[in-house]
Amino acid sequence: MNGGNTEQTVRPAVDFKQPLVLTFGQDIKGFLFRHLGRLALFLLTCTSVLVVFLIFLFVILEAFPFLGKFSIVEFLTSTAWYPEAHGEPEFGALALIVGSVYVTLAALIFSVPIGVLAAVFLSDIVPFRIRNIIKPVIEILAAIPSVAYGFFAVLVLAPWLQKYFGFATGTNALNASLLLSIMALPTIISVAEDSISATGRELREASYGLGATRFETTFKVVIPAAHSGIIAAIVLGMMRAIGETMVVWMASGNASQIPHPWWDMSQSVRTMTASIAGEMGETVKGSDHYRALFAIGLLLLVMTLMLNLVSEYFLTRARKSLGKS
Amino acid sequence: MKAGYRTMFDKVFTVITGFAVLSMVIVLFVILGPMLHRGFGAVFFKGTVEFRKMQLAEFGHGGQEQVRAQAERTDAVRASVYDMIDNFKSGVDIEQLTDRAKDIHRDFGKELRLKEVPREQYTALRSLSRDIRDKLTDAFSSNSIEQIHRDIEYVLQYENDERFVGTAASVFFQLARQYQKAAAATDLDKRDEYAQELAELEQIITELLGRGPAEDSSALAQFRYGATRWDQAKKLLHRLYWKEKWVEQSPKEHLATESSRSLVRTEISRAEQFAGTELEPLFGYIGDNLDKMLEPRWSFYWRYFIDDGTPGHYFGGIGPEIFGTLLLTLLSMIFVVPFGVVSAAYLTECTKEGPVIRIIRMSINTLAGVPSIVFGLFGMAFFVLFFIPLFGGPSKPCILAGSLTLAVLTLPVMIRSSEEAIKTVPQTYKEASLALGASGFRTFMAVTLPAALPGILTGVILSLSRVAGETAPILFTAGITVGPLPKSIFQTTRTLSYGSWDMAVGDKLSAQVPHNQFGMVVTLVLLILCLNALAIIIRSRVFKRLKGQ
Repeated sequence: MNGGNTEQTVRPAVDFKQPLVLTFGQDIKGFLFRHLGRLALFLLTCTSVLVVFLIFLFVILEAFPFLGKFSIVEFLTSTAWYPEAHGEPEFGALALIVGSVYVTLAALIFSVPIGVLAAVFLSDIVPFRIRNIIKPVIEILAAIPSVAYGFFAVLVLAPWLQKYFGFATGTNALNASLLLSIMALPTIISVAEDSISATGRELREASYGLGATRFETTFKVVIPAAHSGIIAAIVLGMMRAIGETMVVWMASGNASQIPHPWWDMSQSVRTMTASIAGEMGETVKGSDHYRALFAIGLLLLVMTLMLNLVSEYFLTRARKSLGKS
Repeated sequence: MKAGYRTMFDKVFTVITGFAVLSMVIVLFVILGPMLHRGFGAVFFKGTVEFRKMQLAEFGHGGQEQVRAQAERTDAVRASVYDMIDNFKSGVDIEQLTDRAKDIHRDFGKELRLKEVPREQYTALRSLSRDIRDKLTDAFSSNSIEQIHRDIEYVLQYENDERFVGTAASVFFQLARQYQKAAAATDLDKRDEYAQELAELEQIITELLGRGPAEDSSALAQFRYGATRWDQAKKLLHRLYWKEKWVEQSPKEHLATESSRSLVRTEISRAEQFAGTELEPLFGYIGDNLDKMLEPRWSFYWRYFIDDGTPGHYFGGIGPEIFGTLLLTLLSMIFVVPFGVVSAAYLTECTKEGPVIRIIRMSINTLAGVPSIVFGLFGMAFFVLFFIPLFGGPSKPCILAGSLTLAVLTLPVMIRSSEEAIKTVPQTYKEASLALGASGFRTFMAVTLPAALPGILTGVILSLSRVAGETAPILFTAGITVGPLPKSIFQTTRTLSYGSWDMAVGDKLSAQVPHNQFGMVVTLVLLILCLNALAIIIRSRVFKRLKGQ
C-alpha cells in the first residue's frame, strides 16, 4: 500500500539502544536463574516421591517393633484376633485378610460383568449423544462419598436385606460387597471403556465384513484385543474395593470370622481396613495393639502396591498393543 | 449355527448390555431417592407449636409473643386431656390416692399445732383424722364396691362436723366423694391393669404434648418438648391408639421346633382396653383436636445449616459440621494447589520422559492407589506425632494435621487434572508467545497458565469434592463427633463426613430422629454433587472455547 511513499521512516517496534549480545554477568545470571528455577520446580515435583517414601517409612517404622516381637507366620495364619486380651494378646490377622479378600472378590463378581457390559454398551452400541447423558450417571456414582454409601448400607439396605431375605443381620458380607461393587463400577467402566474404544475401527470393520454379528465381534474380536485394558480395569476396581474403609466398616458387621460355609454371604465379616478404623481410636500409642494395626496397614499398603504394579503392567501392555495395530 | 440364532443372540446381547447400564441408573435412584426424600425433611416439614417453643428456648429464634399466644391457645385445648387423666387416676391410682390421704392427715395435724388447740382436743382430733385416713386407705385398696361404699359412708358422716369444717381435713371429704364417683365408674378388678396401661399412656402423651402442667421439666433437651414435627406426632398418635404386642405365630409350629419360634407383631386397640371407663372419650378427643393442640404449620428451617445441634443432633442443625468441613477442605486446598500446579507444570513443560520422570510418575500412581485408611495412619504417625511437634505444635489430632493429610491424599488428583488442563492449551498459543521473544517462564505465566486456569480450577473443585467426602483419613487426625467449634487450626473439628458416620452407627440417640440423620448425609452428598456439577460446567465451557479457536 505504501509502496510509493518510501521516504516515510518506519518506526521500529523495539528500540535497540543496547546491543543484543548479553554481557558475561547477565549470561551467568540468566543461566543460574534458569537452572536454579528448574531445580526448584524439580524439587517441588519430587514432593510426590518424598510423600510416598515417607508413607512407607513411617508405616514401616511404626509396624516394625511388632514384626520383631511377634511371629509374622502367626500374624498371617492365625485367626485368633484378641488384641486387648489380658495376659497374652493374640494377633492373628488371617480372618481379617480373608474378610478383605472375600468382600473384594464378591464385589468383583457383581461388578465385572456389569462393568464390562456397560463399557461395551457405551463404546460400541449407543450413539455419542446418549453416551453423554449416561456418563454423568457414572460420574455421580463415583463422586458420592463412601460414607454416604455406608450410610445407605446401614440404614436402608440392611433393613431391606433383613426383611426380604430373612437374614439374621442386615450388616453382612453380602451388604458390604454389593456396596463395594457399586463403588468399583465407575473405575471399571471408565478404564474398560477407554481400552475398548481404543481398539481400532479397522478391527471391527474387518469382523463385520466377514459377516460376524455385533455379539460375535465384541466377544471374539474387540474384547480379546482390549483384554489388557480390561484386566487393568478389573485390577483397578479391585484396588478401589480392597482399600475402601467406611463402607465395609459400616456394612460388613465387623465380626472377626471366616465365613463358614464359604459361600454363605449372610454372615458378618471384618476387613483389614475396618479393623484399623474401628480399633485405632481405642489403642494406646506405642502399644502392641497399635503396632499390630500398623502392621495390617503395611500389609494393605503392600497389597495395593502389588495391584498397582499389576495394573501398570497391563496398562502399558494395552498401550503398546494398541500402538502396534 | 443358524443365522436366526445368531441374530437372536445379537439382540439379546444388546438388551443385556443395555440392562447393565440401566441397572446403574436404577442403583443411583435407589440410593439417592430415599436419602433425598428423607433428608429434605430436615429442612422442609410441618412444625408444631412444640417446635416453635423449642426454637425459642434452645436457640432464641422466633417471636416470643407469638409463641406465647400459640402456647396459651394450645394449652387451653390440652387442659381437658390432663383433666380426663386426672379424673380417671382418682379412681385407679391407689398409691397416689393413699399418699394424698396421708398428706391431708399431716397437714391437718400441722394446722392444729399452729392453732395451739388444747392437748386433749388435739389428741382426739388426731386420732379421728387417723381413723378417717385409714378408712379411706382401706377404701382405696379395696376391690369390692360395697366395702368402698361402707368405708366412704363412714368417712362422710363427719363431713358436716363443725370441728372439720373449714380446716385442712375438709379435703378428705372432697377426696372421698371424688373417689366414690370414680370407683363407681371403674371396673375395680382391672385396676392394676389400668394403672399399668395408664402409665404407658401418660408416657406417650408426654412424648406427644410435652411435659404436662404437673410434671417437672427435664434436664435433657430431647425430653423437654413434645412432638416437634407433625409426622412424628402422627406416628405417636398411632402408638397412642394401638398398643404393639408380639405374639407367637402359631402354637403348633412352636411345639414342632423350639428354636424357630417366630414372633409376629400385632396391634391391639388402647381405646378398647379402656372401654367403659372415663378415659374412653380421651382417644376421640385427642384424635379430633390434635391439630388444635399442636398447631402444625409448614416450616422452612433454613437455619439447619447454621445452628448448632443438641447432643445426638436430636434438635438443631449441622452448622459446626459444615463449618469444619469447609475449613478442612479449603485449608488442604491451600496446601495442595501450589504443589499440584507446579508439579504438573514441570512434568508437562520442563522435561522430557526419562528415568527420573518415570520414578516421579510411578510415585504419583502409587500415591493415587494408597488406601485412604493408610493415609489416616500416615497422617497420625507423621503429621500428628512427628511433623507438627517438630515445629512446637501440639502432638494431638488437629485441623492442621487433618488438612495436611487430606492434601497429601489429593495430591495425585490435583497433579493429573492440572496436567490435563495444561496439555489442552493449544501449542499455537505457546509458540506465538515464544516467537514474540518471551522466555519459557514468561510464556508459562502469561499465556499457558491463564489459558489452563479454568481446567486447573476444575481439578481444584473435583479435589475439593473428593476431600469433603473423605472420612477415613481424618478419623485419627482431625475429626471428632461431639465438641465445640474450633477456635484455631490446632484444635479438632466436627465434619459432615464423620458426623454422617456417627449418626448412622455411632450415636444411638440419633436413630430416633431419622430426618436429622438423613439431613446430614444429604447435605454432604448435595455439597459434593454441586461441586461436581460446577466442575462439569466449567470443563464443558472451556472445551467449547478452546475448540472454537
